[in-house]
Amino acid sequence: MAAKSYDNPELDQKLKDTYYRLGDSNPEFSKNILETSRTLANMCYQCGTCTGSCPSAPRSSYRIRKFMRRNVFGLEDEALTDPDLWLCTTCYSCSDRCPRDIAPTDVIMAMRNMAFKRDIIPKNFLMTVKLIYDSGHGVPNNDANRDARARLGLDRDPPTTHTYTEYMQGIRKIIDSCDLKANADRILGE
Amino acid sequence: MAENNQPRIGVFLCHCGTNIAGSLSINDIIEYAKTLPYVVHSDEYQYMCSTPGQGKIVEAIAEHNLTGIVVAACTPSLHEPTFRVATKEGGLNPFRFEMANIREQNSWVHMHGMWDEATSKAKDQVRMAVAKAALLEDLIPKSVPVEPAAMVVGAGVGGIQAALDLASAGIKTYLVERTPTVGGRMSQLDKTFPTLDCSQCILTPKMVDVGRHPNIELLTYHEVESVEGYIGNFEVTLKKKARGVLSPEEGRAIGVDGCNGCGDCAEVCPVIKPNPFEMGMAPRKAIYIYHAQVMPLIFTIDFDSCVKCNLCVDICGTKKAIDLEMKDEFPVYKIGTVILATGFELIPIEEKKEWGYKRYENVIHGLEFERLICASGPTGGHLIRPSDGATPKRVGFVLCAGSRDNAPGIGKPYCSRFCCMYSLKHAHQIMEKIEGVEPYIFYMDIRSFGKMYEEFYYRIQNEGAKFIRGRVANILEDPKTKNLHVFTEDTLLGRPVDIELDLVVLASAVKPNDGADVVRKKFGVSASQDGWMLEAHPKLNPCGTTTAGVFLAGVCQGPKDIPDTVAQAEGAASAASIPIHCGEVELEPYFAICLEDLCAGCGMCTNLCPYSALALTIKNDRMVMEVTEAKCKGCGTCGGFCPGGAIKMQHFTSQQIVAQIDAYLLGGE
Repeated sequence: MAAKSYDNPELDQKLKDTYYRLGDSNPEFSKNILETSRTLANMCYQCGTCTGSCPSAPRSSYRIRKFMRRNVFGLEDEALTDPDLWLCTTCYSCSDRCPRDIAPTDVIMAMRNMAFKRDIIPKNFLMTVKLIYDSGHGVPNNDANRDARARLGLDRDPPTTHTYTEYMQGIRKIIDSCDLKANADRILGE
Repeated sequence: MAENNQPRIGVFLCHCGTNIAGSLSINDIIEYAKTLPYVVHSDEYQYMCSTPGQGKIVEAIAEHNLTGIVVAACTPSLHEPTFRVATKEGGLNPFRFEMANIREQNSWVHMHGMWDEATSKAKDQVRMAVAKAALLEDLIPKSVPVEPAAMVVGAGVGGIQAALDLASAGIKTYLVERTPTVGGRMSQLDKTFPTLDCSQCILTPKMVDVGRHPNIELLTYHEVESVEGYIGNFEVTLKKKARGVLSPEEGRAIGVDGCNGCGDCAEVCPVIKPNPFEMGMAPRKAIYIYHAQVMPLIFTIDFDSCVKCNLCVDICGTKKAIDLEMKDEFPVYKIGTVILATGFELIPIEEKKEWGYKRYENVIHGLEFERLICASGPTGGHLIRPSDGATPKRVGFVLCAGSRDNAPGIGKPYCSRFCCMYSLKHAHQIMEKIEGVEPYIFYMDIRSFGKMYEEFYYRIQNEGAKFIRGRVANILEDPKTKNLHVFTEDTLLGRPVDIELDLVVLASAVKPNDGADVVRKKFGVSASQDGWMLEAHPKLNPCGTTTAGVFLAGVCQGPKDIPDTVAQAEGAASAASIPIHCGEVELEPYFAICLEDLCAGCGMCTNLCPYSALALTIKNDRMVMEVTEAKCKGCGTCGGFCPGGAIKMQHFTSQQIVAQIDAYLLGGE
């Protein structure tokens, strides 16, 4: 709702109305988060213990406290379209220390699930889906590792799906049961 | 009495504004009540507790010759006394009144869309109350005299103030303190916010006053052993812990001088222990005083560490004040009322591992800071880093260290209420004493709610303290320098911060004092959900408890600062003096009665009674049970058990209770 256009898109963007208005909130979003995350996400009092504990925060623009706030306010689009959503390492330090006994990590996971339903997901996450589908590993074995294992007197491949490839069938069945691979392929293809 | 001795019951319904009338149909219940047996009158009013509401009861008793009153309204714990008075004013015995709680037990829990169900439940409640009302009997409460003496347990600033008020009102007061001196936590503080008065300077005059007030008997180094009796007639057994040293009074009684506080004994004592008054940061001997201003100025022997070398006995010489063979004694005191003022202690903050207390030398807590900044403390008032004795130049204050914390563990969900203010004061104190020092205050909210508190916050900010709005996530120590890195988010900048500091002070949460629970239970006082002692009503009776004659003062009832503690202590003293000045109290006539014709004298009830109110006795050549009415609390344990049905619980007779059950099961539409 810019008051006036200066025929300069950059300036228009800077001058645009940024008021929060009640209509910006989607209470259903907060309810959904509460149900999916199974943690009392609405009880956040914004103390900052989470961001202060976060190994990602000092090295990125990821502020978990901001996502907690967006949840309380039901700012669905702002939360789900923010690329920072994918910078959580799921180390659970914030959940360990939260004085309101909330698990912020689980809130992030819930948001990621909801984002994926809207096809919002970084490519590298989809590549990981493909790797697991193909090898059973998010980070499959490679030749450098195989040589290192051999030097240590280990089998060149670990006793996982790399060795027991017959189990790949079951893993693919699990992934296919929720159309994860199909969706990943579809989004990557678009 | 009505003709034919038939009961004549009046039923009154209260709307309580819309509290009740908004959730169920008052009119339906009024009409229904008229159909119940013995009901000859029914009426309703907006607020039955108001003067016109009570007037309706008074008028109806005369007009309809009523024998029993039922009011369907709120909880009896709120208005039973009100309606009893109205019943009495109408000329009936006040115990001819029965209440049906259709608010707490009905409308408030069935508020939304349960109109018909709530109405139907209220009809059940009224029907049951009417069934009991028809069987109510006249009861006469007993008055008992009140022992004209009071006891105060705990001699911190709250207990001291309460004792001084009681004593000044002319009441003999026993001030009980488990440590060797009065003074409590306040005597450990250096200065007080927001006035920056020296804590000791304003407290010691009061400490001296309790020592010499003719109506106060100071019982330091005593603990509550056991409590018997009831309001007006408590018998409290104290444990007079063996102090090993005779006071001048005790000395005089056996013809010796007793302790004059000269301190020669401590000088020769070879045993060194940490002094708890200095939070263990300074030494004391096995024979010791906490500090120079103790009241009474009498030394105490720590028999757990005394090696009985007799050096102190020898140096004490002709004063003969020391008795190494002293034993605990158990004197009994008769009192009318008691005030509990047992105070607080800090939570074991070391269990919050992320902040490193007891792991990192330079992380201390608020009480340790008070002793380190205090001129009479272990460092003579020079704040130092425990690791190297250096003067810290950058000091962090961690607020809400364990307060407002709902996570499992030692954290407390409540606000400890004085940490914001004392941390502001700490910041001021270091800026006053250390040139170029930088205080960093890590906070979530600054709660400066008292008189001149917000102004104090303004002042400290103006003096240059840095405020960072973020709860501290963790603290790490640089192993070489022993400096501390404090990690949090500056939530106002939205930026993680890592601040290197010389010293960190944790504003640790508070909890009830160790042992407060034991004292609480001995006096029959409940605890609230958060562990503090439960007041009778949080707003209208904040000094009283549910045990008549027992009152609360200070932090034992919930965190509060010195002004609030003193105010509550004065309130408690006033409340505790009322029964003593009245001289007698009325006891509820809910005691058990032995129906001697039915009693087989088996004696099983006497062992069940939790109040030792029952005993066997011989009457008319038969063994029967006898009740000491004043001791009986009407709990009903004996009445419920008696195999012969020989025990009648007044106001809760078997017939009355069975009538209520019958009314519920057999009645209804």
